[in-house]
Amino acid sequence: MSETYDFLFKFLVIGSAGTGKSCLLHQFIENKFKQDSNHTIGVEFGSRVVNVGGKTVKLQIWDTAGQERFRSVTRSYYRGAAGALLVYDITSRETYNALTNWLTDARTLASPNIIIILCGNKKDLDADREVTFLEASRFAQENELMFLETSALTGENVEEAFLKCARTILNKIESGELDPERMGSGIQYGDTSLRQLRQPRGAAVQTRPQCNC
Amino acid sequence: MSFFRRKAKGKEHERPADIKPNRACVSPVPVNSQSPSLVPRNQHAILEAAGPSHVAISAISANMDSFARGRTAILKKQPSHMEAAHFGDLGRSSVNYQAQETRSRLSKTVEQILRDNVAIPYFIQYMETQGADHLVKFWLEAESFRSTSWSRVRAHSLNSVKHSSLAEPASPSTGRPDGEDLSEVTGHLLDANSPSPGRVSSSESVSSGCSKEACVLQPQADTPTRQVSSRMGTPFKLQPTNALKELSEKLMKSIERDAVNIFTKYISPDAARPIPITESMRNDIVAKICGEDGQVDPNCFVIAQSVVFGVMEQQHFSQFLRSHHFCKYQIEVLTSGTVFLADILFCESALFYFSEYMEKEEAVNILQFWLAADNFQDQLASKKGQYDGQEAQNDAMILYDKYFSLQATNPLGFDDSVRLEIESNICREGGPLPDCFTTPLRQAWTTMEKVYLPGFLSSNLYYKYLNDLINSVRADEFVGGNVTPLGQSAPLDGDRNASTSEGMQSQQATKKAAIKILKNFDEAITVDTASLDPESLYQRPYAGRMTFGKVNELGQFIREAEPEPDVKKSKGSMFSQAMKKWVQGNSDEAQEEMAWKIAKMIVNDVIHQTDYENPYMKSTKVSDFTTGTKIPVSYDTPDLPKDTPF
Repeated sequence: MSETYDFLFKFLVIGSAGTGKSCLLHQFIENKFKQDSNHTIGVEFGSRVVNVGGKTVKLQIWDTAGQERFRSVTRSYYRGAAGALLVYDITSRETYNALTNWLTDARTLASPNIIIILCGNKKDLDADREVTFLEASRFAQENELMFLETSALTGENVEEAFLKCARTILNKIESGELDPERMGSGIQYGDTSLRQLRQPRGAAVQTRPQCNC
Repeated sequence: MSFFRRKAKGKEHERPADIKPNRACVSPVPVNSQSPSLVPRNQHAILEAAGPSHVAISAISANMDSFARGRTAILKKQPSHMEAAHFGDLGRSSVNYQAQETRSRLSKTVEQILRDNVAIPYFIQYMETQGADHLVKFWLEAESFRSTSWSRVRAHSLNSVKHSSLAEPASPSTGRPDGEDLSEVTGHLLDANSPSPGRVSSSESVSSGCSKEACVLQPQADTPTRQVSSRMGTPFKLQPTNALKELSEKLMKSIERDAVNIFTKYISPDAARPIPITESMRNDIVAKICGEDGQVDPNCFVIAQSVVFGVMEQQHFSQFLRSHHFCKYQIEVLTSGTVFLADILFCESALFYFSEYMEKEEAVNILQFWLAADNFQDQLASKKGQYDGQEAQNDAMILYDKYFSLQATNPLGFDDSVRLEIESNICREGGPLPDCFTTPLRQAWTTMEKVYLPGFLSSNLYYKYLNDLINSVRADEFVGGNVTPLGQSAPLDGDRNASTSEGMQSQQATKKAAIKILKNFDEAITVDTASLDPESLYQRPYAGRMTFGKVNELGQFIREAEPEPDVKKSKGSMFSQAMKKWVQGNSDEAQEEMAWKIAKMIVNDVIHQTDYENPYMKSTKVSDFTTGTKIPVSYDTPDLPKDTPF
């Protein structure tokens, strides 16, 4: 079961308690909904390899506890994350109002270049909705976040959320904005990519300035 | 594990091929191991990156594979290693494991850094780049002042006690202890006075004040003891008394002098770099220094210290943790000898790599359990007075169901005695205590430490971790040290002043452009003409400097730590080796170097002969010597001067 990948990204899943973070992770990794889900103690992590933008990317996803009492222990896992899913529950106004706190934590504690996608979870419970798509969308825009409404139960938009985040990170790597070899970037080169590291030197030998004098 | 030992001897390229038959016959259990095709890829990749002998590295990665297979097979066959009885005397790790084992040398708080002699120079360096080093230095000096002052005050009061008790006739036996006491105190004083090493430049004023004192004290201390011990009679006590009195006066004077020193340097309004404290605090300090009884309060700087501490913590510390100075410190820790499991588990950047490693080793459950249980205990321990037994029990039950129960979803192989212990801990009257999971935590810790950590430290992933650390240092140093912009932000008018100021402003763009240059040499190289100098061909700027590498004016990255493929790997981690090596290029490297240098010389020559308005190499305006008219000339015409040596 040895997987090779081009990149490894560290992701976080953060948000208030009961918003469905663990279920989102479970849905993404196992393609199943975890019926008898307990609250997370501290942190857990899971991983999955995906294809994004022609590259193989492994996502190492750290699922944090939302309970306030675990806040101080989970904060220590924020540092050095490349991407994050900021989750709230569309049927709970409270979890939406708490978003700014989580956002501040993520921006200050994790990498300054962290890519965050806002996820309005429990989309299937539309009847009990307390947060409209529009207002959440506006919040996301104001804070420069991507936004999707997801459902861990049906699986809707779950994979998309992770992929969207990963794709954005990949684009930034390719454009040079993010340096995978930088400590704290939350990105590792996979084994297949190691050779690309040293290409510039090889290229340099070939493009020696041609002088015709 | 015999094949592990075998691999240590001899290094041939056929090693990977050798291993394959071994794998097949040794371990019948299918284990997740890297595909054979991966090993040569690893080798290839590792060879090209900075590192020692590729042969040695292939041996290491081969070790890793066989090690992993063998170990995982053993784990699957013998869960008995999890039993407490199996451990025996495992030294510091298992015997001393406590829930408070939370220190990673790689992950520090401000408090820890200020008290760590290894880390403090890096912090001071960083603060210097921020122009805030006076804060650190003040804090260190004030701290040293405080502790030494207390020692001096103690010595002083001891002396005054002696002074009064010496008036009574004392037996010879008590004489010696007194003298010894005094020498002990002053000895201690002398130790305290020499500030801890590593306080690079901050120790000047303090040690100059104190070491002078120490020198003065030393002969003084000797004489009373010698006198007291050699002569055991009461009448001679009077001589030491005088000496003692002088001694104590000197001590008090030295305290005063040091306090005034610190005050003048940092606190007085006309200090060169005053620390940010309010006027009232300043007056308070003045009052404490010039106390009514003529005594200086050793705690006079404490409040100011805490203010400065707060400033450092809020304004500078998180940036420091992201800076390349901190990376350098981490590299030093990791290459200086033993790496402990605590260093890895409590440092999130190292944990990123370690968790990937554990996943590859299919042992991620141990780590997950350890993380969860440790977090549980931490948060429970930090709940002072708000302990909710029911809540704690619920949390503990979740862990129990997941890892311990007979129907556990992620069983770890804990034996019955541990399970029973956990059960009784959880069902304790009033709820589980913060040490509820200590036994299995310790077992998990020891397993990770003994079984997985060695493999991790010789793994590709660890190598990547160190590589990333080093690269962070290089990237930062490149940006920091090179203000003149390379790349597209070079100004078109070629005015040097404009270019430097633009460089400052467009530092951000430069950073991105700079990183691009490091990676993509096949882009057109734009040259900043102002920084070219043919004389530099003959200079040896790197001699005697220990740097990771440097980017020169042509945008070429020059590594300091070059691998030597011909040299056999000797003792020490591969990175301490790499870092200690100097650039000794093999013939290919030398040729490339030469080519670059020649290119530089050519360009420079051309520039010098032309009127440069356009720094791009593609076209330069050549002024006709006779008429002074400008004739556009492209770079590769044969009209250019040919006298450059080739």
